[in-house]
Amino acid sequence: MKKLIFLTIACSLFLTTKSFGQAESYTSVHYAVSFGMGDLGDYISKASWRGITVDYRRAVNNNLLVGLEAGWHVFYEKKDFDTYTVGNETLSGVQFRYQNEVPILATADYLIISDSPLKPYIGLGIGTIYSERNTEMGLYRLEENPWQFALKGELGVLYKINFSTSVKFAVKYYNGFKTNSLDNQGYLSINLGMAWDI
Amino acid sequence: MKKKFVFYLSIIVLLGSCYPDGVEYYDETDIVYTNYDDQFDFSSKGTYAIPDKIVKIEGDIIQGEPPEFVKEPQNTQMLQKMQANMTALGWTKVEDPSTADLVLFPAVWTNTTIYYWYDYWCWYYPYYCGWGWGYPSVSSYTTGTLVMTLVADGEEYIDPSRVWTGAANGLLSGAYNISRVNKAIDQAFEQSPYLKTN
Repeated sequence: MKKLIFLTIACSLFLTTKSFGQAESYTSVHYAVSFGMGDLGDYISKASWRGITVDYRRAVNNNLLVGLEAGWHVFYEKKDFDTYTVGNETLSGVQFRYQNEVPILATADYLIISDSPLKPYIGLGIGTIYSERNTEMGLYRLEENPWQFALKGELGVLYKINFSTSVKFAVKYYNGFKTNSLDNQGYLSINLGMAWDI
Repeated sequence: MKKKFVFYLSIIVLLGSCYPDGVEYYDETDIVYTNYDDQFDFSSKGTYAIPDKIVKIEGDIIQGEPPEFVKEPQNTQMLQKMQANMTALGWTKVEDPSTADLVLFPAVWTNTTIYYWYDYWCWYYPYYCGWGWGYPSVSSYTTGTLVMTLVADGEEYIDPSRVWTGAANGLLSGAYNISRVNKAIDQAFEQSPYLKTN
């Protein structure tokens, strides 16, 4: 009888530990608010409230997950009537500035704590960002749309709310490297979403 | 789990798909452009001449036929605005262009762009593509342009020389609005402080 009780308790503990004691593969979807830095911040000073990020992570061991990430973040600002001069030429008007950032990255996350419902982690990503910058003035549009080599750093936390679902909060910094048509494009992104174990 | 994933993804895609609007009002399409010859010494000149009619450019002129002109009262309103700006910059109007340091030549034209599409749904069901089921959609827009050119033609010139150009362009609303044109004329001279003469 005592052995039976002991085994029952041991199995329960094992099962409980199994739920929180290791990394689990998941997919997640997040709403993202982003803030431009450097050249992007100079071009559009307003925050982006239109953003979505989708992640896929596969557990490699108890603490390490690797996977893919894709996102779409829209920056926009209407510049009031203003004057722009280059050399002997001057142009005045209202400007509508748009910048779409589409990161596509391979990622790796390391769970700092894995045996808890609350799992903080750090992550890195490498891949590319498609940047589409459109400047509209009058009935004219100037377009620049390079693919940039990109790196990403991430700090986040997963909080398990039931057996297969977690809330995910992350702060990410994306950096697209300079090309012929655009300088470095960097931005900070605050992500909040849901993750589902697979 | 799949239903939840699709549900949350749909919400976030809706949030992310609220793409920002651009132009909302006709005057947001107004732009003013100026360019000048930085080798020309405006401050050493003082007189100018200007025609009493503004040419309306509508294609090639048939030999022997007079050009089209802007109708009244718009013609006088626009000329008065140009003259007021030149006077404010210190210029004196003379009647004989052969005795003036510079001659101001104003001209206007309109441009209508028509676009249509009829195969919008071909990707869905080719039956609706053409064959009278294409529901062609037609739309158009008209822009107006005013160009003011200052030309120098003294003894030192072999040919008349353009020393300053001011151009204004915008989307026509269909309702005549002199205030938009006057504002553009003012802006063209305001962004050309080098025109000031002693």
